[in-house]
Amino acid sequence: MKRKIALIVLFLSVIQGAQAADSEVGSLLTARYGYGFDPQRVQSLELTWAPEIRWDWESGGRLTGTARLRSEFETGMQPSAIETGGYSSFSRAATAGESIELALRELYFEKQSGDWYMVLGKQQVVWGKADGLKVLDVVDPQSFREFILEDFDESRIPLWTVNLEREIQDWTLQLLWSPDQTYNALPKSDAEYVFTSPRLVPQAASGVEVQLQKPVRPNNILVDSDAGLRLSGFFDGWDLSLNYLYQYDNQPVLHQNVGFVPTPVAVITPRYHRTHVVGGTFSSAFGDWVARGELGYFTDHYFIETDSGVAGGVAKSEELTYVLGIDWSGLTDTFVSAQFFQSWLPGYSTGIARPELDTNLTFLIRRDINNDTLSMGLLWIANTNDGDGLVRPKVSYDLQDDLRVWSEVDVFYGDRKGVFGQFNKKSRVLFGAELGF
Amino acid sequence: MKKQVFLMVLVSLMMPENLIAAKFPNGGWVAEKINARDEGVAVSRTLVMEMTDRHGKKRTRKTKAFRKYYGPEKRTVIFYLEPRNVKDTGFLTWDYRDAGKEDDQWLYLPALRKVRRVSASDRGDYFLGTDLTYEDIKLETRVSTEDYKRRTVGEGRADGHRCLIVEATPVSDEVAKELGYGKVEQWVDSEIWFVRKSKFWDTNGNPLKTVSARDIRKVQGIWTQHEIDVENDKTGHSTKFLFSDVDYKSGVPDKFFTQNTLRRGL
Repeated sequence: MKRKIALIVLFLSVIQGAQAADSEVGSLLTARYGYGFDPQRVQSLELTWAPEIRWDWESGGRLTGTARLRSEFETGMQPSAIETGGYSSFSRAATAGESIELALRELYFEKQSGDWYMVLGKQQVVWGKADGLKVLDVVDPQSFREFILEDFDESRIPLWTVNLEREIQDWTLQLLWSPDQTYNALPKSDAEYVFTSPRLVPQAASGVEVQLQKPVRPNNILVDSDAGLRLSGFFDGWDLSLNYLYQYDNQPVLHQNVGFVPTPVAVITPRYHRTHVVGGTFSSAFGDWVARGELGYFTDHYFIETDSGVAGGVAKSEELTYVLGIDWSGLTDTFVSAQFFQSWLPGYSTGIARPELDTNLTFLIRRDINNDTLSMGLLWIANTNDGDGLVRPKVSYDLQDDLRVWSEVDVFYGDRKGVFGQFNKKSRVLFGAELGF
Repeated sequence: MKKQVFLMVLVSLMMPENLIAAKFPNGGWVAEKINARDEGVAVSRTLVMEMTDRHGKKRTRKTKAFRKYYGPEKRTVIFYLEPRNVKDTGFLTWDYRDAGKEDDQWLYLPALRKVRRVSASDRGDYFLGTDLTYEDIKLETRVSTEDYKRRTVGEGRADGHRCLIVEATPVSDEVAKELGYGKVEQWVDSEIWFVRKSKFWDTNGNPLKTVSARDIRKVQGIWTQHEIDVENDKTGHSTKFLFSDVDYKSGVPDKFFTQNTLRRGL
């Protein structure tokens, strides 16, 4: 608590002396109802209030703060169903009872000073060009409360970050430093979207008791901080970027040790590991088409090992991941997009619980009609290795300026061993309304 | 034989089209005069868009818009301020004079927190729910000389002002399809070389929409429209564009027309 207060005081000292010239307050109120197909039951009943405030200073700076108060009435989706061990004390949300969560989403000060542009505070940093799945968008961790169904803007966990940008001729250099040791938020065993795929979690043999330990977290605010840089620019019709990140991988590695005391026990200890991430992105337009892509090379990634002889039950490998995407807007008011993702493990060993080369495809078609008040879309994500996937038709309608209603169906299919197939009993239909004021 | 030729020339001169051509200035020349009108190097303005559907339901968007010329190249950017669900959306265009070079366009969607490259070829698509297309928005008060051939067909009055009526037809079926227009008639005020009214037909020859520029007055010495009314004949939808805080003098920083500003907002 003392650290939190100290951080806020430090943050306020940055903006000390500045005089607020203008302020703006707004809110989004969202209500959502989800119904599961198999078994048929209410899956989610949720009310969210997201206030935002901005202060603009005469000196040119701006302070932005956003919060999220969420109340969820269904047990598997409640805050108590999500592990909090991934959060640092600076970024952990407050809870009230089982169902209510209050999170400071963002609180940052931004200012242009000469050639430098700085953003200081808790903020979202977004890299990459991919939609739906991530390659380089790993600067900030993510909540997997709803697997990947939640909008990334909501599931991304903003970090306390120093974000500096400087324009150097045609390039923009971005420098990042984050002492916030917050990592992915994962569902607990009783959560609606708990991971069960052998790709993601170790599988205990029958008769073996599983003990999940508290995560072993990095704890030195300086030595264990993350740092990154991005160089981006626009050249002869091409948007290009080069990216580098030195971070603790946001996903904990589940080390397992089997003992016999006196019955078989699998002790699983989540640990975080350092990795270097090197990559780049591109995009350009050609007539009706936009081509885009990104590539990321991770030096140290860990994977579940099925060979019981491997110490810790995990294997280490480099990982090369890329996406190639193509967007087409040749038909009036219609947007079509397809993406090809591949992940390759150069250090693959046969015991690793995923293929050496893993391939995902995505396809999106969206049509906005009635002067953009009615939007209809279909997103399909498929893994070609496991033959599983996710289909998401969605329709939304702007009833008024600030009132939007929507409905969506999320259908998982495929074998339960797959990343998508593990949720093949979690398909659902959603109805929602969003009011801005 | 000489008599026959003389009679043929006389008869042809009496044909209505030639009489019109002799009486009114050439359509291409009118287009050049429109495009030669001073628009200022840079302008900033507040733009409110009121969209009304055929049932009378109204939606309002408040934006801040900037435009700047870099020689023959034009850059425009628009930032959405209200309402909440589109706030911080931004749209940036770099428009090149060279017809062979495609424009570069980027869209910032706050829900994605990413600047997204968008195709500039969908110029016949309607701009973010309004009744003007991306191409209409890009041209502002100019007219395209590459996409249309023009002829002056008569005189008329628009908004109480005497105007030349210029008929513009796309140079090819392909261009017509791209633009979504089969024909356009423009009422051009030849005193200030401003298009006060335009009637559009779709590619099948059906009436499509009428665009009226109103409240045209000088701001800092430059003729400026403060209201555009668009009535869509097909859908019954209409859009009113209201311009205020128009400023040609203060200048617009170059950095406004970058992806960085699009992402960071105003």
